[in-house]
Amino acid sequence: MPIVTIDGRQVEVEQGTSVIQAADRLGVEIPRFCYHPDLRPEGNCRMCLVDVEGFPKPVVACATPVVDGMVVRTPHESPVASKAVNGVLEFLLVNHPLDCPICDQAGECSLQDFYMHPDYGQHQSHVDPVEKVHKRKRVSLGPRIVLDQERCVMCSRCVRFSEEVSGYAELQFVHRGNHVELTAFEDRALEDPYAGNLADVCPVGALTSRDFRFKRRVWHLSHADSVCAGCSTGCNVRIDHFGGRIERVVPRRNPGVNRSWICDEGRLSFRALVAVPRLMYPRQGATELDWSEAVALSHDSLRAASAAQGRPLAALASASATNESLWLFRQYVLAAFPLHRLAFRLEREIAEVSQRQDNLLRRLDKHPNTMGALHLGFDGGEGLDGLLALAESGAIEGLLMLYYPPLVGEESKETRERITRLLHLVPASVVLTTHELPYLTAAKLLLPVATWSEEEGTYTNYQGLTQHADKAVPSRGAVRPAVEVLGDLWHCATAARRQTRPEEIFREIADSVPVFRDLTYASLESRSATAYPPEGRMHYGQEGFAGR
Amino acid sequence: MARKASRVVDVRQAAESGRDILSSTAGTLAGMEVTLRNMVRATVGRQHVTIQYPEQRKPYSRRFRGVHILTHRADGSLKCTACYLCETVCPAQCITIEAKEVQDPRVEKAPSRYEIDLSRCIFCGFCVEACPEEALIMSREYDLTALSRGPETLAYGIDQLTQRPEIAAYGAGFRPHMQYPLVESYLPGEPIPPREG
Repeated sequence: MPIVTIDGRQVEVEQGTSVIQAADRLGVEIPRFCYHPDLRPEGNCRMCLVDVEGFPKPVVACATPVVDGMVVRTPHESPVASKAVNGVLEFLLVNHPLDCPICDQAGECSLQDFYMHPDYGQHQSHVDPVEKVHKRKRVSLGPRIVLDQERCVMCSRCVRFSEEVSGYAELQFVHRGNHVELTAFEDRALEDPYAGNLADVCPVGALTSRDFRFKRRVWHLSHADSVCAGCSTGCNVRIDHFGGRIERVVPRRNPGVNRSWICDEGRLSFRALVAVPRLMYPRQGATELDWSEAVALSHDSLRAASAAQGRPLAALASASATNESLWLFRQYVLAAFPLHRLAFRLEREIAEVSQRQDNLLRRLDKHPNTMGALHLGFDGGEGLDGLLALAESGAIEGLLMLYYPPLVGEESKETRERITRLLHLVPASVVLTTHELPYLTAAKLLLPVATWSEEEGTYTNYQGLTQHADKAVPSRGAVRPAVEVLGDLWHCATAARRQTRPEEIFREIADSVPVFRDLTYASLESRSATAYPPEGRMHYGQEGFAGR
Repeated sequence: MARKASRVVDVRQAAESGRDILSSTAGTLAGMEVTLRNMVRATVGRQHVTIQYPEQRKPYSRRFRGVHILTHRADGSLKCTACYLCETVCPAQCITIEAKEVQDPRVEKAPSRYEIDLSRCIFCGFCVEACPEEALIMSREYDLTALSRGPETLAYGIDQLTQRPEIAAYGAGFRPHMQYPLVESYLPGEPIPPREG
């Protein structure tokens, strides 16, 4: 395999690797606009020029494959490359409107980062600002994307994304030279269900997200690495939040799962969390309860309903719960109810878990943890319909349910009706849920639990890949994570205390369930996705390039 | 360097002993020199050092950092574009901004809410220095009172920052580049020059 020297450091890479990929592997920063690891290299922005020994002129690092013995010097080391890159940047900024104060990209903009770089960025423009060519601003490209043509650097990442990745091919450049413009045909709204990614791939502020428009400056946001809970694909995402509120969700790069993309439904799934009022306090009918009271009452009523007549407890946990919650749910049911029916299926999760909805990421099963439920010993055969049949025949009198409404789409009408019917049929029902849902009001006891983004946990996606999702925002009211509530119920059943930290529960799962053997939170994190922006954008003056 | 040995005096004893009255009185009078001089000046010369605040007020520097002013454009709209730089730089974290989209294509963005909690503000002027548009400047208003500490009393919103009568009474204070006139930024009530051409 060829060995290449970049800025005096050697690395051995596979045949066909480009210089920029080799440099990324070394952690040597090469500025770039048009190169993206998940798109075909185009070599049009000329920002990644490097000086290669024996070559007459600087060459683009993104489209130059390495050969054995190549000696590359980046703009950090080579005055030739530095001067070339500086000139390229000056050209790119000639017509730039410099409206950073009203640009949502400011703070994570490559133009800003590169201009501030002492090795190749700063310059005095040769062109008078009054000579700038003006183009159209605030062009609407449908419900997801706003285009500002003045800010565009013509890197064509968006064009390539829509051609190569989503396949909708709705964007193209028109005109020439100074007047080149990015446009959709007749400015039609983009139909691409992955259009939100255009704002992520855009290295400058030309394509920005309409949903995030003017909401927050990006440097105010706090970040949490998470996994999308919108469907069984389990795309790696980063939740950006401020003041306890989620402001946006962006993808993290994970080549094995979602590459650098997420669908728009997943990107906006956090809206579902606030679309319906939250359940804030434990409730019995209309009476609000203390947690200690509510837990004791729940346990006692379920015991009474199942033990007295020797009837099994119906235990139904949605596959939207984390592995940790499902495990404690099961442990509690096993410990307290010798007779039980442990189900998780609401609809056709198992049949749909790996069925694609389209050619890119979306899958039909809108539950993020169907595989996890199966691995953890939940019965995939008998689902909500089975329990309902039992309840109709009078075979069950107690129901414990852990239910999360779907983040993408709505629960189907049949399922909602089935749940309502089941709750009406069963005399003792305890439901752990997140929102005030009309089809759950028939439950005798309602216990509020944390939603996705409010609790730490792991989800197992359709591939059987277990991924870790961090807690992003705090819960309000008396809402508690399901693991804590289930730990308290377990305490009622066994009189013993147990660890309810997700990490400890996961250790217990790894010790008990063969599928999860040898996995720990540390090992999950080390194999998880790289940071956003997906290609590892440089932040001058911050953590440098080491964040990758 | 060797320290000089000093004599230790028991002050209480010295005071009680009562001798040397003359020298101790002289010391007191010497200490009151400034007071006495001003007393004579005020009574005999009618030259007052103090003023009858609040009826009388002293002029402050043009660079005084008092309560903020949000300036506006010639058409009356706020100059602020909600870039959040003041909120970002504020060490007391007393500025809260919420942005909205406006239809003017040259502006795009404006604050829907702009609030400075003056009970938290330390009047450092960083916000004014950070402002790229001279949209936020300081006034020379220095006496700021409220009847409670609640945020509703000293948290000034857009209306108070642009239109309160004190702005005209005290005048504009600190802003960077004070050597130049304000560029296309106007204070409330200020006559706007007619457009040339």
